[in-house]
Formats: sequence, C-alpha cells, structure tokens
Amino acid sequence: MSLSYPKRIFLTALVMLISLLMIMAALWLPQVDREIEVMDSLFVIDITDSMNVEDVSFGNETINRLEWAKEYTRQSILSMPCGSHAGLAIFSEARSLILMTPVEVCANYHDLMQMLSQFRPTMAWARSSEVSKALYTAIRQAKEITPQPTVVFLTDGHEAPPVHETLFPKFTDTPGEVPGVIVGIGGSDLVPIPKTNEFGEIEGYWEINEVMHKDVYASSRGDAAELNDNRPRTEHLSSQKKSHMETVSRRVGFEFISSPKSPQNLIKEMQKISETRQQPVKYDLFVWLASIALILLLLVFLPYSMFTKQHE
Amino acid sequence: MSWSHPYLLYLLPLALLPWLSRNTEKQIVWESLLPQDVVSTVIGYTLRVVASIVIAALIMAVAEPHIPEHTVQRSGQGAEVIILLDRSRSMDQPFARRHTYRLSTKMNFKESKRSVARYYLTEFVSSRPDDRFGYVFFSEQASGILPLTYSKETTLATIEAGGLGRGLTKTDISVALKKAGEMFEGEVYRGARIVLLISDGGQILSAEQEQRISQILQDNNLSLYWIYLRSVSGMTLDEMPGESVLWQGAPERHLHTFFKSLAVPYQAFEAGSLDEFAAAMKNIDQQHYQTLLVERKMPRESLADYFLWVAMVGLLLLTASQIYTWSGVSRAYRSTRH
Repeated sequence: MSLSYPKRIFLTALVMLISLLMIMAALWLPQVDREIEVMDSLFVIDITDSMNVEDVSFGNETINRLEWAKEYTRQSILSMPCGSHAGLAIFSEARSLILMTPVEVCANYHDLMQMLSQFRPTMAWARSSEVSKALYTAIRQAKEITPQPTVVFLTDGHEAPPVHETLFPKFTDTPGEVPGVIVGIGGSDLVPIPKTNEFGEIEGYWEINEVMHKDVYASSRGDAAELNDNRPRTEHLSSQKKSHMETVSRRVGFEFISSPKSPQNLIKEMQKISETRQQPVKYDLFVWLASIALILLLLVFLPYSMFTKQHE
Repeated sequence: MSWSHPYLLYLLPLALLPWLSRNTEKQIVWESLLPQDVVSTVIGYTLRVVASIVIAALIMAVAEPHIPEHTVQRSGQGAEVIILLDRSRSMDQPFARRHTYRLSTKMNFKESKRSVARYYLTEFVSSRPDDRFGYVFFSEQASGILPLTYSKETTLATIEAGGLGRGLTKTDISVALKKAGEMFEGEVYRGARIVLLISDGGQILSAEQEQRISQILQDNNLSLYWIYLRSVSGMTLDEMPGESVLWQGAPERHLHTFFKSLAVPYQAFEAGSLDEFAAAMKNIDQQHYQTLLVERKMPRESLADYFLWVAMVGLLLLTASQIYTWSGVSRAYRSTRH
C-alpha cells in the first residue's frame, strides 16, 4: 500500500494530534473510581502448648506449628488487596481473645506484624486447649464487630481435655451466620508435646500420666463410658486432628482446609464464603493514556522505508 | 526517585527511531537536485531531537517515576503513652453503679469497668493527634502487644478489642509495669513518656519487685499515671480520718504508697464515677503537651506528570510543524494540478 506524499504528511499530523490529545488527557483527566473487592477478616491463632510441636515445614525448614501459623497469617495478610481489613486474636483455654479488631492491611501492615510477632505460648492464661469452645467464642465476638469479619481459625485441632464424639459442647448460634475457615496445622504422626515454663522455654514433654485421656463427662454415661474406656491413651501426643476439625467446621458452618500450601488457598476459600465489600479506590488512567500516546508516536516514527525498500 | 515499572526503561532505545525513519520524506529522483539550506537542516535536526525527547519522556512517564513513601521528622506537641489496661476478671464488674451516671443506651454500652475504660481511652487517643501510643496487655502475664506506633487506627482497634469478651484471670501489676518500661528500651528519647495504668485493684509488691519497677521507671524517664477504678465506694487511696479500719492496709493503698515513694512523677486519679474518670483523662490530656519529635509519613508522590509535561510541550511543537508542513505541501500540490 502506498499513499501519496500529502496524504502521508496529513496522516502523520493526525496521529500526532491524537497522541497529543492523549497526553493532555493523561495530564488533566481526573482520577476515576474503581471498585475492588475487599474483605474483613479475623485471624485467631492457637497458642496452646501443642502448637510448640515441630512437625511442619515451610520451605526446607521444619518449624513449630505456632511459627507456621504466624508465617501463614503474615503471608495471607500480605496477599490481601489494600483496603482489606484484618484483625488478630489468640486462643488458649476455652476462649478466643481478640487483641486487635480489623484494621486496614496496607497502612497498618507494620503494626499487625509487630503484634503477630508477640504471640507466644507464654501469653496463654490457662493450660488447656478446648478448640471447639474457643471457636464458638471467636464466632460470638466476631458478631460484635462491624463490619462482621470472616473468621480464620488456625489450629492443630488438639482438644485437651479430650471431647467425646457424642458429647460435644453445644453450638447455640446459627451455623454459617459468621463465615469462616479452619486452617489445620500439623503433621499426621503422633508426637510428644513440649512443655513450656513461664518464660516460654521448653522444659521436657507432657507425660502420659499428666494429661486427661478421657472425656470426664462421658465416663458417667453408660454407652459413652464404654467407648470412652476403650480409647487409646494417646492424649499426651499430638498430631493434626483432621476428622475432628472437619466435624467442628461442619457444625459451625465453616470451611476446613488442611495444611494449605500457599496463602492463595485460604484467600480463595475466604472469597467464596465471605461477603466481600466493594471498596472504591481512586484510579489514575494516565498510564493507559500515555501508553496509547507512546504507541501512536512509535507508529509515526517506525522506519517503514527500511521494509518497503527491500520489496522494490 | 524510583520507578514502579523499571523494566519499561529498557524501551528507551526506541527514542532513536526518529533518526532512522525517513517515511515522511518525499521520494526524490536525485538527491543533489535538492537545494542545500542550512536553516532547513537545523530545523530537521531539531525536530528529530524533540521527537526523541518526547518518546523518551513518554516511556519514562509510563514507567511511573515516584518518590516512595517516606517518613520525615518534625516536632509536634504531645507525648509517648503506654496504655496498661487491666484485663482481669474484676474489670468486668459494673463501674459506678449509681444510675444517674448511666451513659446513653444507644451506644449499646455495657457498663463494665472495662467498657468504660475503653470508651474514655478511645476519646483520649482520638483527641491527641501527635501522640505515639503503645499498648500492654496484662493479666497475670504481660505482653506489649502493640509497640509504640503513630497509627491511630491500630491503637483504637487494640483498645476496642480490649473491650470485647470477658476478662481473664488475675492481675499482676508488677509484670505489667516492667513490660511498659521495656517498651521504651532501645527507643530514642523524643519527649514526654507516660505510663497510663488503668486498673481496679492493688497489689502488695515484694521488695525486689519494687526495686525493679522503680529502676525501670527511672531508667526510662517515665511518668506514671494511675487511674484507679474504685471497687469499694468511699475508699480513697490516701488514708482519711475516721474511715473504716478494714480499708487500712488494703493492697491499693500499698501500691499507692509505693508509687508515691518513686523518684519519677506520679499522679493518681481516683475514679468513682464516669465524670471523675472523664476529668482524670482530661487532666492528663492537658498536662502533656510538650515538644515531641514526631515522625510523619509522607505519602508516595508521583513524578510522572513532569515527564508528561515535557512530552506534551515537545509533541505540541512537532504536531504544529507537521500541520504546517501538510498545509504547505497540500497547497503546493493543489497549485501544480491547475
């Protein structure tokens, strides 16, 4: 295709003019509102003794479950789009304790991490680990927060003292009213649980005769007591209690993911179940406009003659 | 200055394109037929230089140059405050039971001491723009869950969380004070440092504990404020004539006496009602406006506009010359056709 000389000049002038208008638009067009989907979350981290077991790996390193939970929380918060909110809570004994209600993740990343780094077993106020009850309190407290966050409960599922399958603590709220995910942590083999002293140092392990192996309430009930008596005495050892967490999550209407490989697993699960909010963010179109201007200009100055001459 | 998309800078050689391109030139039978004109040559080169500049400027603008978010120090008016809020079970009990002091119900206010403390702390924090806050969570154990921060959002969120749920076990004020002192360790001295203890109980400290607390408060230059939420109505921290013998030697009084013996500034506020509590907070608010070194976060600043301006001015020139050429050429063509 060949154009006459004046037409070529005209075309070039036209393209330049459009390019010029694009640059002007890039300079003076106001920012546009764009909606992004953000969510509110509350990370509840198990800080009971069984979390000191070193049977999980991050990369090549074998670390303890608590460190894993903290690192996973950090990466998850990092993966959330700005505008999302995250709060932090710990759980010990039979309840969850919220330490920070959800705050915006990008502006407050540093403070969130500072707080997260403080989570240690020494913060526990009692030496038991009633996972299901703690989960219920987390749900109840999440309801008091506006906007209501999605609960992310990171635990190994180890109930101490143990709970009998049929004698579960009652969940009185509506399942699924508060959305949430239980993230299961820990290996599948039973391993001894380190015992910590008041300074958080590990001092030996929990021995077989130092922990309860049966649900005390079940012992007084005929059929349940029989089952109870036949339970293996392994409560001083710990592994990830997957089936138990599945049962609990079904009861409260939560999702359960076991040892997720990447924070995206959690984020995707959360996006499925949470009510995401539309958050308007200011978005500047200048990059796109300037790119168009640039491409147009490059078209003008491409050395076409180099290609056409070869044909002649 | 840094770039959001530095890899785009690899496109910069494209700025040389105007020097390779000849496509706007007319095909000439013999180059020597063209008259040599110095002015034209100069104009031609200038236009190519301008075109190169425009392309380079656009590439750089698209790579998004910016000054990243940074902090600047300036002096403000305020203090560094560590909040020590008692998380023990006794704080769940109602505060100031007299109904005349009831707060408005639309706030869904549970009248526990902890909610009242939370409410006034929120007010206090919000009213002090330059202060830097830290938060120590304590019952029997203490952890500095929120190291000193300028962020009002996280401070308020932590205070709000302190009002949720029920209280924990017992109180250990000595570990809490120690923790508060530790929070300042390794910090540059910027200005007034306050430890704000809000608690409803006292404690008899051992000589060793007293020694350690007094050391840590002194070493870090701290002022101590104690907002004492009275559990027994009528009891004061200082002994009054004709009072009940039962109150003598109460743990609160022991603690108060110890605090008074400290070499650091100390003041106790006894709050028996919401008004008194509010007054105590206000009093502290007024006392602590001293010069404080404050860090301000400066938001990220985009520099792309400067590059766009360069590109625009350059392109304006190019477009104008191109349109001028076009009008001249088309006039010439039209006249030859006649």
